[in-house]
Amino acid sequence: MPVTMRAKPFLFPTFCKACGRCIEACPKDCIEMSTEIDPVTGLTPVVIDLEVCNACGLCFTACPEPHGLLPRPEGLGAGEVDPSVFFGPRPSTAPVPETIPDTRVPLPSFEPMVLKGTHASAVGALLAGCRHFFGYPITPSTEGAELMARLLPELDGFFVQAVSEVAAVNMIYGCGGAGLPSMTFTSSPGFSLMLEGISYMIGAEIPGVFVNVMRGGPGLGNIGPEQADIKLVCRGLGHGNTHAVVLAPSTPQEMLDLTMLAFELAFRYRNPVVLVGDGYLGQIMGRVELPCEMVRPGIPEWAVHGDETHRGNLLSSIQIAEADLEAHNVHLNDKYRRMIEREQRAELYRCDDADWLVVACNTPARMAKGAVESLRAQGASVGLFRPVTLWPFPSGDLLPLLDRARGLLVVEAGSGQLEDELRLALSHAGAPGTRIENLRRFGGMLPQGQDIVDKVIALAHGDPSCTAPSTTTSHATAMAPA
Amino acid sequence: MHSAFYDHFARHGHGAGLKGHATHYCPGCGHGLAHKYLAEAITELDVQDRTVAISPVGCAVFLYYYFDVGNTQAAHGRAPAVALGHKLANPSSIVVSYQGDGDLASIGLAEILQVVQMGLPMTFVFINNAIYGMTGGQMAPTTLMGQTTTTSPHGRDRFTGQTLRVAEMIAGLDGPIYVERVALFDRKQRTRAKRAIAKALRLQVENRGLGFVEVLAECPTQLHMTPIEAERWVQEKMVPVFPLGVKKDLTAEPWFTPEAPSFDARRLTRTIHASTEPAPRFGDGFPAHVDEHDVAIKFAGAGGDGAQTIARLTAKSGINEGFDATYIPSYGPESRGGTSYADVHVARREVLSPAAPEPHVLVAFNPPSLEKFGPCVRPGGLVLYDQTVTPEAPRLDPSVQMVGVPFTGIAADLGKVKVKNTVALGAFQAATRLFPADSFLEALRRSMPDDCEMAVLNEEAFRRGAMAFDEPFDEPAN
Ligand code: SF4
Ligand code: SF4
Ligand code: SF4
Repeated sequence: MPVTMRAKPFLFPTFCKACGRCIEACPKDCIEMSTEIDPVTGLTPVVIDLEVCNACGLCFTACPEPHGLLPRPEGLGAGEVDPSVFFGPRPSTAPVPETIPDTRVPLPSFEPMVLKGTHASAVGALLAGCRHFFGYPITPSTEGAELMARLLPELDGFFVQAVSEVAAVNMIYGCGGAGLPSMTFTSSPGFSLMLEGISYMIGAEIPGVFVNVMRGGPGLGNIGPEQADIKLVCRGLGHGNTHAVVLAPSTPQEMLDLTMLAFELAFRYRNPVVLVGDGYLGQIMGRVELPCEMVRPGIPEWAVHGDETHRGNLLSSIQIAEADLEAHNVHLNDKYRRMIEREQRAELYRCDDADWLVVACNTPARMAKGAVESLRAQGASVGLFRPVTLWPFPSGDLLPLLDRARGLLVVEAGSGQLEDELRLALSHAGAPGTRIENLRRFGGMLPQGQDIVDKVIALAHGDPSCTAPSTTTSHATAMAPA
Repeated sequence: MHSAFYDHFARHGHGAGLKGHATHYCPGCGHGLAHKYLAEAITELDVQDRTVAISPVGCAVFLYYYFDVGNTQAAHGRAPAVALGHKLANPSSIVVSYQGDGDLASIGLAEILQVVQMGLPMTFVFINNAIYGMTGGQMAPTTLMGQTTTTSPHGRDRFTGQTLRVAEMIAGLDGPIYVERVALFDRKQRTRAKRAIAKALRLQVENRGLGFVEVLAECPTQLHMTPIEAERWVQEKMVPVFPLGVKKDLTAEPWFTPEAPSFDARRLTRTIHASTEPAPRFGDGFPAHVDEHDVAIKFAGAGGDGAQTIARLTAKSGINEGFDATYIPSYGPESRGGTSYADVHVARREVLSPAAPEPHVLVAFNPPSLEKFGPCVRPGGLVLYDQTVTPEAPRLDPSVQMVGVPFTGIAADLGKVKVKNTVALGAFQAATRLFPADSFLEALRRSMPDDCEMAVLNEEAFRRGAMAFDEPFDEPAN
């Protein structure tokens, strides 16, 4: 219906909150509070004397309600007015959002590169289509950020050094919310600061990739390698009912491969994905093969991209009504169940006929593999069970091995957080009591191959005195990159 | 008339009854007016499809009930960071961050300062009503001195901090081009407020820069006043503390028109220095004369000796030769002026433990490194040290072969002490025959493709180092 440039006001009395601001605003004093109570609102809406009104329009700009005082369409008579005169049949004219799919671009075959762990992860992110990095420098993850700072401008991408990790995670929230892949490199204390934002991302179902190069804690701790954030990433991703796939690479090659996988999973599940390395793995340079394709990301249907197609979308973790929030959690639980069913990953190394299984991830898993080799050379049947996903814990791969194995030796650079995940997974799976022993180092010390060998031999010989970890410092490696 | 508001507020109480058309704001609340002016500006500038509105935490948390644009709701105080993420993801989107005083001026101070200082074309609407509305009338950073709130029940005093003037603070930053404080308490102020919000949005649409509008708004509910009393309160109490007007208004040319990120495969692989050219292989097998499966080497010196570089080159040669290899730098805590060492492994199949606590070979650039790591070398191993700086080598296990080569002396002779590490690498190759010399030279050349002069000098240094070692490394008895 056409509206004249200068229109007199129209008001649906039920949409008036009786604030009186329009009364004050009217120069002609033609608006006054009604004396009759509106039966729907219980308020006394204003009444307007249209005879006196000169259509100055000042009352429109004084009315705080979007659908309060409205410009009166020409020819609108008195009496009952159908709201459809003012409001369309749908809440919005926004189109139904559509997905613009990713494309996979084939790559030629490259020579293997020599990359350090953090750099391999950064290269993996670029290949996965990430052109946005948000982070705050923190040792020992900074070199990944530095490489991104160097390379992203060359690809017309964006590198932002945020004011803090708290800001960084929220930039990821915004960028991921716009439907694009983005990431950060951080390390334990920085990751702690990101947890609030991660909880919001999970609630609002926003993808993003977090590479946490774990260091010694608690508190400032040190910058040596530790695996003491496993509890945090598996059980403590901020407040509320939160989970995310947690990937634990153990070589620079896996830093690249699993970073690419992390982006894929983040968008598949509309959820953050965490990749945990340790300070040592971040620094190791090793052989890295490039994949045969790279990704040009599209824009998912749910994104708030700032374009016509996606105008109708909302990203929010708010569900005010209890029933709505319960339903949302049911939906999240369903998603977590799918992750548990489909995303368990593990490497089984000489496990088939193993009497003892060493369980380890990240760098300690490399030491453990060496130990398995030398134990095998000595005739012991020992295998390495290496969880590649820490959440979901790959119990599906582990359970069949337990029929034969006499026990598990959990080797970790931390105080038992991996063992807790293992125990919880076995408990959920209803596995029968399995003997679980451990070998732990902390504070930046890594369990070494010989320690593992000694421990397994002692266990295999049923020596009950073998529970304390070796403290032979000549085997332990302290690492503190500048 | 079409506006940037939804025709029906489907998200407000599922759009049932009155909620479908009325806001959740209290009668007379200033938020509604600011919303209205923003919606009008969006319509007038014809950017509804491109607009992304960031809802804060506070009374405006449900801004997304009303604005028919892309909506993202942010954590308390983080709206500017979320807004920045959106803007960089899609620079042609029109991003509006809408925040209240608790959100922007308390919990989110760091975020607003950083993002405003970046100064990208973005629009900030800041609602200052001097109190926390949603949570029930607690003190805000902008609460007036003496003002009574539920957390300053005896009136705000110095111990609760002093009133924060945000517009002035923001205008003091270099980032924004336009900052104005407006109010809503009478016709004139409302007209100015409307214009200011429209201008802050237009500056973004024209890609000129960041606009920030502080709106002195009425919160009748928490002030326990009628809307009209609240208008007067803002006028009489707030305005003297928060002077209205333009705080900053620079002329700026459009500037933020970045290229779209590149997903060109060739550009990407060039950027990461990936090469399709196969590295030639010079050796004919694993250096089993050093170890059957896995050779461990430690390079140690002071920071700046170049131990890290040749460690990396050794790992690279190993990989070029078709083996697995790793290199891990270790700077001990004592490294400030002390030792910087690097562990290298070359394995026939897979390097298991990348550390080299007991290396087959130690290359030591100074006496402290030799002192420290010499005793760790395996029986039958080899120690190569810089004779120039180590007049007397320590006594080690008799099975360990000790080889002194004047790394520094030879490098100085070549006119560049810096190349002593390449001298050491040459001597290392000659002493260990880990791989043929050409394998190392190829890795060396590839590491500095753009610097011919240095490449020539380094090759010479490598040869001189190799020549200095005339006694080949014998089969170790391990
Ligand atoms: S248009 Fe002007 S004169 Fe008419 S009611 Fe509104 S303020 Fe009064
Ligand atoms: S300003 Fe709007 S809501 Fe307030 S009394 Fe007038 S018409 Fe009603
Ligand atoms: S509490 Fe205050 S700011 Fe919040 S909606 Fe009510 S009047 Fe507005």
